[in-house]
Amino acid sequence: MHAVLDSLAMIGISYVMGFLFYGFYRQFNARVQRRWGPSIWQNLFDNLKFFFKSETLSHGPMFFFGPMIIMAGAFTTVLFVPFLKDSDWLQGFSASGNLILIIYLLVVGPLGNALAVGSSGNPYGVMGVTRGLTRLMGLEVPFFLGLGLVMLQHETTSVHAIMAAQHDVAHWGILTNPIAFAVILLPFIATQNGSPFDVVGAPVEVYAGPRVEFGGRLLGVLMTQNMMMSIAKLVLVVDLFLGGAGNFLILILKAFALFLLTAAISMVFPRLKTEQAVDFFWKVPLGLGVLGVIAAVWLPWST
Amino acid sequence: MIKLLFFTVSLTPAATLLGWGEGLAWPLFEGVRLTLDLTPLSAFFLLLLAMAAPLVALPMLRGTADSPAFVLFGLLLLGMQLLLLAGDFISLFIGWEIMTWSSYLLLLRSARTDLETAQSYILFNLLSAFLLLAAILVFYRFTGHFEIRTAAGLTDWQEILLALLFGLAFLTKVGTLPLHLWVPRSYDQAPDAFSAFLSALVSKMGVYGLVLLPTLFPDALAGLLGRLLDGPAAGYLLAWIGVVTSIVATFKAISQEDMKRLLAYSSIAQLGYITTAIGVGSSLALGGALYQALVHTLVKLLLFISIAGIVLRTGQRRFNDLGRLMERMPISFFGVLIGIIGLAGMPPLPGFAAKYLIFVSLLDARWLLLLAAMVLASTAAFVYCYKLIYAPFLGHANSASAKTATEAPWQYLVPQLVLMGLLVGLGLFPGLGVRLLIDPVLIALQMDPLGSPSWGELVTPYGGYDGVVLMVVFGTAFVLVTGLFFLLRGRMRRAGSPYDLSYAGEVPTAETPLHYGAGMGRELRRIPLVGWILRHSTQGFYAALVRQTRTAAELLSGFYSGNPQAWVLLAVLVFALALQASIGGI
Repeated sequence: MHAVLDSLAMIGISYVMGFLFYGFYRQFNARVQRRWGPSIWQNLFDNLKFFFKSETLSHGPMFFFGPMIIMAGAFTTVLFVPFLKDSDWLQGFSASGNLILIIYLLVVGPLGNALAVGSSGNPYGVMGVTRGLTRLMGLEVPFFLGLGLVMLQHETTSVHAIMAAQHDVAHWGILTNPIAFAVILLPFIATQNGSPFDVVGAPVEVYAGPRVEFGGRLLGVLMTQNMMMSIAKLVLVVDLFLGGAGNFLILILKAFALFLLTAAISMVFPRLKTEQAVDFFWKVPLGLGVLGVIAAVWLPWST
Repeated sequence: MIKLLFFTVSLTPAATLLGWGEGLAWPLFEGVRLTLDLTPLSAFFLLLLAMAAPLVALPMLRGTADSPAFVLFGLLLLGMQLLLLAGDFISLFIGWEIMTWSSYLLLLRSARTDLETAQSYILFNLLSAFLLLAAILVFYRFTGHFEIRTAAGLTDWQEILLALLFGLAFLTKVGTLPLHLWVPRSYDQAPDAFSAFLSALVSKMGVYGLVLLPTLFPDALAGLLGRLLDGPAAGYLLAWIGVVTSIVATFKAISQEDMKRLLAYSSIAQLGYITTAIGVGSSLALGGALYQALVHTLVKLLLFISIAGIVLRTGQRRFNDLGRLMERMPISFFGVLIGIIGLAGMPPLPGFAAKYLIFVSLLDARWLLLLAAMVLASTAAFVYCYKLIYAPFLGHANSASAKTATEAPWQYLVPQLVLMGLLVGLGLFPGLGVRLLIDPVLIALQMDPLGSPSWGELVTPYGGYDGVVLMVVFGTAFVLVTGLFFLLRGRMRRAGSPYDLSYAGEVPTAETPLHYGAGMGRELRRIPLVGWILRHSTQGFYAALVRQTRTAAELLSGFYSGNPQAWVLLAVLVFALALQASIGGI
């Protein structure tokens, strides 16, 4: 019973936080560009609008199941990230998982959806998937290396243990292991599909991108999972580098601070081509990561 | 009748595994005995063989009986059993040779095998066999016996020499860069069902050999060159060889336009992970290597057999000429789907457990740069996995035969279903695999067993995960989401035709090229590193080697000027040097 309530709470919280954060992002973005922008609730309205469309076009069974897989993947990811520390609540099934598992869970859903895109038969959609996978290949190397530095620092892959080790501000990951944070920051923006590392979505002048064929309720599902997944990733970084959160309010505060940082970076850089982004990841963040490894492992005074 | 007989023969490895009692021994000549025995390590690989042999035999049974192929396959099984059961190097070598020659002759049974492939196959495998022979003879010279057991009393240099000879022999079989030249061609051109056996089993014999090395020289990895960070320094080199192999082979796989060739390159890459893990050499790493060997065997059998079914039904093997087979061959579609999930190491299938163990072992050895390089290879693998399922099964049918194909015959489907079941079962219960298959081997190798508190849990000192919980959560979420979706108002409408697309404001017709099969991944060349890898080939490496050798030979030939005085001077010089050396030596 506890597990069921807890899971429902986590899913609900990530959904609410998701549309509020992205609503804020649109407003924030507009103000930077000197527009009024939509209200903070706009993302909720958009999402609900999609869900109540009277008709949805499908291209066959696999096309339908792709969004279901990605949604199930988002639920699973949310449930495997502990939201709070030292609490019985908002833990989901995180005790049965670990950091490496979570990183892999982040990509299970998108790969399931890639099948749906493929079965739609639209080559521009598949092109978008290939771009996404290419970017994944680029970002995952420094991202994993940065997290590897954290796992090495705490000698565990358990998110709980890493969180527990950061018992006060002086022990926060961002202070004890700043290089790791610097290494993962830009790849992290890319996992959120944030500019300058975003892959073109459908609604641009050239029809391209993984979502080109989706509409109606299926698009609603894709939007929902995207918001929930973003929150799961934010909370994960909060757990690893910002000491986790003792209660719900602090969780929102820390996640929001992190979101503000990534949003501010995204806002001022235009999109790179996918190949440029990959090359960038393999040069700058990875180079920094290698320096981090040298400092952490190879030098004589490093433990 | 002959088919029945053949199928019975394919069950012999299982019978050997189950019925093996005492070890056997024959005196060969003075002081040397042939011994056959079943150790936990050989039992592990024999289990793989026992599982795979009937599954590969079944597709081979289809159509008119090809008796020579049946006989050769039987011989191959015999050779591999001999190899695995061997308690001494003579039996091992006999088994190795039987395996090499019978697989070579089987490869020749394919109408597509050309001279170049046959030559490269036999040349590289003979190279491997001769290196093995040399290693065995040197081993005898140093120790005075042929038995496969811990070699005591060797100096460091003797150990290095032996490890190098044995290592090169087995790495050739595994297909490590740059010794992999024979792999893509022969896996591609071999008879379709037999490719599965080549990739899944024959290559594993190289892995068996590599895992055998730590039993021969237990402290070789650790004691030879000291330790680097928290792992053995000698293994660090091996680990990098493995990782570079995986990275290069993965990008080569992405650029292939032929299904079987892609799988061949992916085999090289996957075995590269195993090489890396053996380089790390800790119990976590060896556990990961064995797990990866197990998963790779299952996955490659599944994929090669599914692909063989497609080739049988359509006659096409290039990504460009297929498409939209999902509706025509649904079971093969699920076969390939489960296969690529396992290949990509996605949770909840067991490929993840293997990757997890290897990642954690690298973390444990504090070899983080290797970890990053391995993540690169395993993430890039997603691209070719996607290509492997998109190009044949999704998109648009791109040839007449792809439009009319039917589901593969039952001889192909039964193995696929069995393998899918095994993969899903292992994914649910990663701890069961560790308990039943991995731990006995680790204990026999005198290492700490991984241990697992329950069937579902995989546990390491760095934390673990629970396969059952993961699968249940994901399954429940999937059912819940799908159910909720149907509760919503509104109706679903199926698109009128496959050409009913948002296509840049135009209405595509049947003539519009809509299949993205072979082109996928081509744009990766724009990334400098990937472009560099794809522009270079191992053939180029060998050609450069030939050029360098020629240049060196020309330099040397300068000494032989045809002038007798120069010859006499040279002879005196060599004589004087030899004299000096021998005096100094005494």
